[in-house]
Amino acid sequence: MKRFIYNTAVALGVLLGASSCDGFLDRIPTDSVVSESAMATLADAEVVANGLYTDLKYYTMYGSYIPYMGDMRGDNLYPTNASGTGRTIYTLEYEPVQSTYFGMWQNYYTTIMRANTLIANIETIPVMSSADQEKKDDILGQALAIRALCHWDIARLYGYPYMKDNGASLGAVVLTEVVAPSESKLPRNTVAETYAQVEKDLTLALTKLSKSKNDGHFNYWAARMLQAKVALYKGDWQTAYTAASEVVESSPYRMVPNSEYLAYWGKQCDDESVLEFLVTNTGDIDSDGGFYTMYHNMWFEDKAAGADIIPSKAWKDLFANTPNDVRAQMIAYDDPVTGAIKSGEYWLKKFIGNKDLGYTFRRNNPRIFRITDAYLMAAEAALELAGKQDIANEYLNAVVKRADPTAADVVATLDRIQIERQKEFIGEGHRFFDVLRRGGKIVKDASLDDRDFAGNTRQEIDWNDHRVVLPISHNEIMLYPELEQNPGY
Amino acid sequence: MKKLILSVLMAFCTTMLLAQTVTVKGTVIGSEDGLPIIGAYVVEQGTQNVASTDIDGNYVITVPKLATLVVSSVGYHDRVIPVQGRQIINVSLAPETINLDEVMVVAYGTVKKGSYSGSATVVKQDAMKDAPVVSFESVLAGKAPGVQVASFSGQPGAQADISIRGFGSFNAGNAPLYVIDGVPATSGDWASGNMSTSAMSYLNPSDIESITVLKDAAAASLYGSRASNGVILITTKKGKSGKLTSTFKASAGFSYFAYDNYPLASDAQMEELHRQAWYNYGERNPSKWKSYGSLDNYTAEMVEKYYPARDYDKYIYRDWEDVLFRTGISQNYEYSVSGGGEKGKIYASVAYTDQQGVVSIDNLQRFSTTINGETNLNKFIKIGGNLQYSRQFQEGHQEGASTKDNPFFIWKVVLNPRWPYAYKEDGSLYLERWNSSYSTINPVASYNAQINDAKQNRLIIKGFVEAKFTDYLTAKTTLSTDWLYVHDRFGWLYGHPNYTAYSDQGGYMSDRHRNVNRTVSSTTLNFDKTWGDHHVAALAGWEAEEEKYHMTRIGKIDFSYAGATESIFGTNYEDGYAYSREEGLLSALGSLSYDYKAKYYLTGTFRRDGSSRLAPETRWGNFWSVSGSWRFSNEDFLEYEWLNDGKLRGSYGTSGTLPSDYFGYMSVYDFEQYGSAGASYPGNLANTDLTWEKNKNWNVAVDATIFDKYNFTVEYFEKKTTDLLLDAKVPSTTGFSTTLTNIGSMSNKGWEIAVNVDIIKDKDIDLSVGANWSTIKNKVLALSEEGEQQVNNRQIWKAGYCFYQYYTRDYLGVNKETGMPMYARGTFHEGGKPASEDVTLKNGTKIAKGETVPYDTYNYTPTTRSKANSMILDGKTALPKGYGGFNVDFRYKNLSFIMAWSYKYGNYMWDNATDDLCVDGYYWSHRNMLASEVDTWSPENPNGSIPIRIADNTEGGYYDSSRAIHKGDFLRLKNLTVSYTLPKTFTQKYSISNARVYVAGANLLTFSGLHVDPELPSDGYYNFGMPAMRTVTLGLEVSF
Repeated sequence: MKRFIYNTAVALGVLLGASSCDGFLDRIPTDSVVSESAMATLADAEVVANGLYTDLKYYTMYGSYIPYMGDMRGDNLYPTNASGTGRTIYTLEYEPVQSTYFGMWQNYYTTIMRANTLIANIETIPVMSSADQEKKDDILGQALAIRALCHWDIARLYGYPYMKDNGASLGAVVLTEVVAPSESKLPRNTVAETYAQVEKDLTLALTKLSKSKNDGHFNYWAARMLQAKVALYKGDWQTAYTAASEVVESSPYRMVPNSEYLAYWGKQCDDESVLEFLVTNTGDIDSDGGFYTMYHNMWFEDKAAGADIIPSKAWKDLFANTPNDVRAQMIAYDDPVTGAIKSGEYWLKKFIGNKDLGYTFRRNNPRIFRITDAYLMAAEAALELAGKQDIANEYLNAVVKRADPTAADVVATLDRIQIERQKEFIGEGHRFFDVLRRGGKIVKDASLDDRDFAGNTRQEIDWNDHRVVLPISHNEIMLYPELEQNPGY
Repeated sequence: MKKLILSVLMAFCTTMLLAQTVTVKGTVIGSEDGLPIIGAYVVEQGTQNVASTDIDGNYVITVPKLATLVVSSVGYHDRVIPVQGRQIINVSLAPETINLDEVMVVAYGTVKKGSYSGSATVVKQDAMKDAPVVSFESVLAGKAPGVQVASFSGQPGAQADISIRGFGSFNAGNAPLYVIDGVPATSGDWASGNMSTSAMSYLNPSDIESITVLKDAAAASLYGSRASNGVILITTKKGKSGKLTSTFKASAGFSYFAYDNYPLASDAQMEELHRQAWYNYGERNPSKWKSYGSLDNYTAEMVEKYYPARDYDKYIYRDWEDVLFRTGISQNYEYSVSGGGEKGKIYASVAYTDQQGVVSIDNLQRFSTTINGETNLNKFIKIGGNLQYSRQFQEGHQEGASTKDNPFFIWKVVLNPRWPYAYKEDGSLYLERWNSSYSTINPVASYNAQINDAKQNRLIIKGFVEAKFTDYLTAKTTLSTDWLYVHDRFGWLYGHPNYTAYSDQGGYMSDRHRNVNRTVSSTTLNFDKTWGDHHVAALAGWEAEEEKYHMTRIGKIDFSYAGATESIFGTNYEDGYAYSREEGLLSALGSLSYDYKAKYYLTGTFRRDGSSRLAPETRWGNFWSVSGSWRFSNEDFLEYEWLNDGKLRGSYGTSGTLPSDYFGYMSVYDFEQYGSAGASYPGNLANTDLTWEKNKNWNVAVDATIFDKYNFTVEYFEKKTTDLLLDAKVPSTTGFSTTLTNIGSMSNKGWEIAVNVDIIKDKDIDLSVGANWSTIKNKVLALSEEGEQQVNNRQIWKAGYCFYQYYTRDYLGVNKETGMPMYARGTFHEGGKPASEDVTLKNGTKIAKGETVPYDTYNYTPTTRSKANSMILDGKTALPKGYGGFNVDFRYKNLSFIMAWSYKYGNYMWDNATDDLCVDGYYWSHRNMLASEVDTWSPENPNGSIPIRIADNTEGGYYDSSRAIHKGDFLRLKNLTVSYTLPKTFTQKYSISNARVYVAGANLLTFSGLHVDPELPSDGYYNFGMPAMRTVTLGLEVSF
């Protein structure tokens, strides 16, 4: 018995001794990585850099809502459904409380936080060679460019057009570092302040970024296009011209020829694309590139479905006299004979799916910058600068004739460029901003359309309308009143 | 002289007797029924000499003539009988009835019921042995005060939704801790969520000896950081001393819906409602019918288009109920062996269950076995162990309002009487759509190409060594491993109407494998000693627990052949990954009890837990309780004839709940894919201060037995939970929307009253009735921000309101002039301030714009749906005001009759079917309509209770409003069992010790005003989960 007690005591002692050390309680996850060790090497940093793009590609951002903000608030596209998000955006009747697209504010800050985390930590990563240093610079440049893109997007979505009041309205909360919850209740900066930070980030980014193609990522040329665009919105014609024309003249990108134009939309990062975000088929189809289905008439191959978003009569009429225009061929029509139930309806057959990866029309890479845009930006800026009418003509005609080789030469005017932009960028989210940034007026009259689902809406919107800027989510303001709501909400 | 001789003789005989032995024979019977007791022990006191009774209750033992016999049997009081030279000693044993010295299983041991000062309810095997259930949880409904049991689904194998004394957590879960034979066990649903699969369904209810529900701190706080939601202790059957007994039990059950769920309008009524919808639509949109010549023509055409008459030349029609449902048939077979002697005890069982669900694709098969035993190595050491293994296969349907796979939804909402089944021409299934939002409507086609199943394997192995150092000091060490393996599959195969949903080409199939390994090691030292009037019991111990979870998932898409049922036939990967997760918990625990003269009791418990889910600085926490009781009936000054027993008890203590996130305190990076490369980013806003949710808990109660027949317990408790884990919102500028923070608080309080009356207690007849009633009040005390509210599923969390407070538009009824539905404006107006619009108070008083609003109020001015705002609907919560049960136990000779009712009242349900079945024409195409929809408003029926029906009516009933909220009161006959024990005189001829036949019914009667079965999940939200079933089971039990 004594022996037994002794043995038991020893066994217990061993067990207690072995387990009482805290090691038993130190566990680490295997499906995520503890932050301290997440970005130790340059290879890790590349992975973190990829994380700058993942949220922006979803339907909640460039995959859907941002294009909607440009085309559906504008006069290019309209929703076939009488209720839901599409209608609210089309009519600019934003719900007073939270709507799904209000999440954009938060999504931008998620990506800004990621960029700021990367910028704050990349310095300590050791480099062994000049190639490494270039890589490291490029990653830093990408983070700066993404940060610039997010800030600028916030400014144009939530702030009034720069040229309305020289950026005096409220824009983004400008953030250049990660903030803890206790320091996060920061007021908004003005649009001008936001632009200033965007310009600063881009200037630095351009010194860091590689000029090589880097599919799905910011490189020098993409940042240069963003710089041109920011300048164009600001009325800084010289910068816009210099940046855009450099992309046109010196970048490795080219406008695909007319014969490849329709197929281009099914390619991954073809020569035309300066920046695309990459969708994959591992994600949920609805969120990862899937909402392009809404333009298509075959939602889940359902003949009865019809497209959710269709081109307006106004947009189709742009091609009334130019039937050879390749872009007119993107207007699809459901012939009653084909058996589609919602026959007799036009829809936009632009986003045909990433065929390079074998996807159907459901998964498309959002196009962020195409070189065609550089042509048109350069043309517009050239018109504003003295003595550059010929250059403007040249750039504009390159775009016009690519679309329709039979077209006659046109003389560049601001209006003609605007028309060309409208034709070219449907579904890419430009129209509303293009009109308003210059103080123009959006006129849309759904009653003229084939089917008036939005309910007899005739609207004229200019930059004095409070609905031109999105409201900041009520939930966000509840958290801290220092965040000022836009006027009118 | 005679006297002298006698004395001498006596002395002589005595001397002789001391040396002489005698063979004693006799029969042991139960005093309550006079029937023989099988396997009773007859032991010569102080020796190893033992005999046991045979099936006739007979024993034979040879003992010294002056020996003393101790006769014992489980469930009876021991008797001590001096032999005094007798050769025949018949013994009658008195049964242990509801007994103050009854031993009950509690945290880390057992106690005598009379000395227990915590709050715990014991449900015995008798209450569940014949109940026609797969999972044991459902027998707790109505039986245990303070315990609410609901079902997530009526599918076989589904998880039960148990809450003990309300709700104490927002995010860390409200499920109790399950402890099986002293070891914390894996519980919950570990399958994919496409159907409910309870990890606890591995247990064959027949293997359960008793269930103890620990409710207050005194009872539960020995389980420390996991005890806040209460603890369910399950004690499985062990071998019983006595002859080896084997029992065979077989039963067969038949089930169908227990309730007339969603009675629908008749075909003719639906046609009329379609007609009204289109007529009213046309009347409001004259341009629509111009080309039809007249409104009547248009109406007729539209009705024919969207509710076309049956065309028997073209189509085959079938009764969809027959197509989709069947009488569920279940079979259950089990065999068990139990026995034991001085040296040890053993129990083993095997069981097989086969359930064919009411839905024609729902099935469950379970094989389970258990073996446990213990043996005394010597006077000091006892070793033992058990093994439980079960293997379950479950096939089912997806729940919820999905038109694709939930047959209950499809039947009630989608398949109208005029929807064809197949084409007459070639017999092929009719596969058409109504409109763009729905896939093809023919569930038969879906079933054929759908895979939704789960295999669950569970193995629990436990071993223990117990050392009895002295009479009063024992040590026990236990090592246990609990392995759960779940493999579930979900697939929409090639040919399924929805097969392109996940990929562009065809078919989707996902396999998930989950392994949960739990190892628990515990060692306790027990002290129990009495000195005169003083009794001291103490416990000290430690416990280490480790959980390792591993998950593998593979998803494939694009099946190349239609008959493929395994993912190997999928061409492409949809997804594939594996990861693991582990946690550790280390604990030290102790308790100390003292009682004096069995009158005054005092107990303290303590536990210190360290958890890997928290940061090193905060991971250790202390939990404790104190409790005491006064058995006033033992006081001399309260010695009344009628007062058999009376006790006043009270407790106070703490317990906790761990964060549900295993690594919530760590800042981590999440990974996904970008293009063909990896992408990572900070995945959470870490909170290193994360700690337990803390629960402070007090309880007072009176237990009494009076006049030998009335037993009652009255109990009151209050629970306050602080440091509740909330996803506190943070400004977006942090890059995150929330961070997990210990910030909220909540309170629960309630009464629990249980009464049991032994009306008749006689040799041949017993009748007892019982009733219990529990109340619960819950209040959220604080959220992360002052004035903050969080809206989830039409409910709101806000300080001052119940955890399950409804928040939606308030429906005010039908506008008698226009027939349109009216809703309260719902804007909030602060009292004492001028009204910013015309305001109507709840009582109807109108306050013009600019006048002063008398008190805080919502605006009840009637308006249309689109102008109405959600508001807090005062008093409407999913929490019942009261609930409980009644039971009647009646026995007459060999016939017994058990009836158990359960009830609930004061709760409101959210009937999401309102969205589908009561829409005032918002859905105009094909859809079924509830029978109550017939009372539609029209100029001819201005008092109609249902708004006017207009096709495409966007102001109609589709949107969330209080129209979906209904009173959830119900009373249900949960269980009725009639059993007959065949006479011993008859069975003994066949060497059968006991034979019994029974009929048991579940959910036989239900009284409720709801459209759907009232047994709803505790949050009150109902969205076409499978309702409860009525089941009748016939069974037979034979023991040898």
